[in-house]
Amino acid sequence: MTFLVPAAAALAITLPAIVALYFLRIRRPTRVVPALHLWPDQIRDRQANVPWQRLRMSWLLLLQLLVAAFLVAAALQPALPASANLAQHSIVLLDSSASMQAKDVAPSRFDEARRQVGVLIDELGPLDRITLISLQSTPRIVVSSAGDRDAIRRALAGMAPTNGPADLSAALALAGGVVRPGENARAYLFGDGIVLPLRASFAAGLPFPIEYHKVGVSGENVALTSLVVRTSAQTRAAYLRVHNFGQQARTFTLEWRSDAGLIDVRQMTLAAGQAQDLVLPVPDAATIVTARIDSKDNFALDDSVTAIARSPRAFHVLLVTPGNVFLEQALRLRTDFQLDVVAPTAYTSSTPYAMTVFDRFSPRALPEAPFVMVDPPAGSPLAGGAAVGIGRVRASDAGDPLLANVSLQDVHVARSQDLTTSSFGRALITSLQTPLVLVRDVPFRQVLVGFDIHESDLPLRIGFPVLVQNLSEWMLPASVPSRSFHPDEAVTIVPEGGVTSVSVVRPDGSRRSLATAAIATFGETDLLGVYTVEQTVAGKIDRSWFNVNLFSDSTSALAPVDHITLPPAKTGIGSQASHRGFLQLWPWIALLGLGLVIAEWLAFHRGL
Amino acid sequence: MAVSTLLEPQLLRRLEALVVLVRRSVKGQMGGERRSLSRGRSPEFADFRNYTPGDDYRLIDWNAYARLDRYMLRLFVAEEELPLSLFVDLSGSMDWGRPNKALTARRLAAAIAYVALASLDRVRLTVFAEGPTSGGAPYRGRHSAQGLFSRIASFPAGGPTDYARLVWPIGRQRPGMTVLITDGLGESPIEPAITALQQARQEGAVLQLLAPQEVDLDWTGDARLRDAETGAEREFTATPATQAAYRSALASRTDEIEHVARRRGLRFARLTTDQPVEDMVQRTLRRLGLLG
Repeated sequence: MTFLVPAAAALAITLPAIVALYFLRIRRPTRVVPALHLWPDQIRDRQANVPWQRLRMSWLLLLQLLVAAFLVAAALQPALPASANLAQHSIVLLDSSASMQAKDVAPSRFDEARRQVGVLIDELGPLDRITLISLQSTPRIVVSSAGDRDAIRRALAGMAPTNGPADLSAALALAGGVVRPGENARAYLFGDGIVLPLRASFAAGLPFPIEYHKVGVSGENVALTSLVVRTSAQTRAAYLRVHNFGQQARTFTLEWRSDAGLIDVRQMTLAAGQAQDLVLPVPDAATIVTARIDSKDNFALDDSVTAIARSPRAFHVLLVTPGNVFLEQALRLRTDFQLDVVAPTAYTSSTPYAMTVFDRFSPRALPEAPFVMVDPPAGSPLAGGAAVGIGRVRASDAGDPLLANVSLQDVHVARSQDLTTSSFGRALITSLQTPLVLVRDVPFRQVLVGFDIHESDLPLRIGFPVLVQNLSEWMLPASVPSRSFHPDEAVTIVPEGGVTSVSVVRPDGSRRSLATAAIATFGETDLLGVYTVEQTVAGKIDRSWFNVNLFSDSTSALAPVDHITLPPAKTGIGSQASHRGFLQLWPWIALLGLGLVIAEWLAFHRGL
Repeated sequence: MAVSTLLEPQLLRRLEALVVLVRRSVKGQMGGERRSLSRGRSPEFADFRNYTPGDDYRLIDWNAYARLDRYMLRLFVAEEELPLSLFVDLSGSMDWGRPNKALTARRLAAAIAYVALASLDRVRLTVFAEGPTSGGAPYRGRHSAQGLFSRIASFPAGGPTDYARLVWPIGRQRPGMTVLITDGLGESPIEPAITALQQARQEGAVLQLLAPQEVDLDWTGDARLRDAETGAEREFTATPATQAAYRSALASRTDEIEHVARRRGLRFARLTTDQPVEDMVQRTLRRLGLLG
């Protein structure tokens, strides 16, 4: 047994003080009574009425000494070694991700994890400190290196699960910031182990040891993992994926709705681990479609999904070319583009287009709008230097989102204008000799290609239409993207021209106003459901929608992870640096003391 | 103490409607409104007897002489005063309580005395503590009320109670009514005084007056108790148990006084000072048959 506050032993002076009070004459107030002979000759609890009288046995004295002894014992805060190994600085990572809302343990995984954290807090020593971090898509520090247990408990009680994933790497980076160099620290992860993969930067080792406390028992769950609405010239349909992640076959009802009402209800049975893709009809007038299952499983977040069914707005695009079938076909793949193709001689700048592609042609005055300039003729404003021979090409930045899903591995260019000295913008694709493709954001998003498409094998690669798609989406982003986002994913909203107000109505009805002057990034997408973007243009409200769904197989799989494979700690903080936690006994001792106080009160009133 | 504060004029007016009740006829020294053991002048016929020389010939019944040819005297019931003696305890134990027992005793005695004076009864006042002190010559008639009130108010309270020293003054009383107002808490026994009342053929009443604070204790804890009469001290702790013991001793004492009084044919009432004096008079003493 350990005493957490040994200095409280000084309070034991109260015991001899109580005995001394029994020895010493007490001061009694004088009361005049009419007839003293009627009053019994009785004095309380044998207190001495002359100094240093011999102490006589008294139940009250005994009880008062016991009460004092118990209170002193409680003040000493005796504690027994507990089960937990604690460091001087404990970093508690409480998993607040979506999967922690599973109810395979009552009342939920999150509540159970929170209870376990509460037990750990109870076992803290007097000099121990704790940092409490909410492990979610963007981890946050709830309590930073604090020792006040009540404050920690209050902060813990205020935590709630989120709908996003658990980014353990970000949480560890955050925790690393609050641990001082050389400090004896240990992290405790309370959760189901469903976390995003650890970043490579942690492969060299963790800043401190991590102890994983598994919460959750079952992975039984049927989930809707994907819903996409596809519009073609002939049909409009939704593609829904239903997956049984559990170990048992499940029968459930699927309900398919549009905002106009119920479309279909069907009974489904999925074997253990089986997934099924469904093609569901979408009415022409539908704006939002919803699929819902009543699988009565442990996890509700993936039982309902939504999709935006409205077709995106069309853009007018002009291709000015003496003839380029590759470019024309790649642009026509965009179903929301209305493409006009004209010869350079027929080009006039009078008709405004959302985007213009100039192929081997440059007008005298460049349009003040997004454009792509391919191999500008010599003497034109954007023309580069003399042609140079090129071979292989490569990306300037392999992680550039404009090159997402574009492989440049087998792409070659025969010849290109020398854009080394061009001040057009930053290089997107380059070579050893010269930059090949430049992009810029101002005054408009524009692209300059230094070579003729025909003098390259790029249009023959699968990456070419993807590149054109990426560039066109970048130059002409939809005002409001109508696709599904994940929880906590940022949504870029480009206000329409002439807009006077932009606001987003969240699924719970709350409204957020956005700036109208610039492209806005909306990050409050923590709720699942449909978000409505309202833009006021010339006094008229224009509504568009995007939606947030869970759509995470790793989360819906739900089965808690038995062991998380983590790199070892860099420092040698091991068991020798940690100490056992404490199971504090003082509340029970104080309770006994209270019982003795009641007994003493009863004894006094019975005249013992 | 100012006389005016002893009894209010309104109360005095209401007291004039009352009379001191006695169970048997009395023999006073002066005429009054009471039936006397002697025959005297009054409208109420009592008896005949033979005339003897010296009798008042005005009382000869001439009708009887005509029928019997003998001188017969016609006798009437004499109406005499009631001798009322008030013994008021003004010992140290009476100078205690809220309201003060001595003050209440003075007021109660004044009220009873005024009822008697208004009925032309004779009132004798004696206060006592360690010994009796006479309140002066007997009072008679309403006009003497102010003097009696002043006299009652003038006696200081204090000293121990010695009931044995009341035996002699009580024994001197002519048969009549005696009212003893006391708290009965003195250390000496009250029985000799009560026995003396019986022997003096007094139609008496014992009124025990207590303060509410001594009936229901309003304090707990440690204290040094000091006797109001003797000044003796004792350390004491008031707990529920010791309070119960005190209440038991007090009840035993008052029961003993009541028992002795009733055994001697006296009326007994226990009063507390939180009761208004008019309430004592109009309710308790009328119910007791002392006033009517």
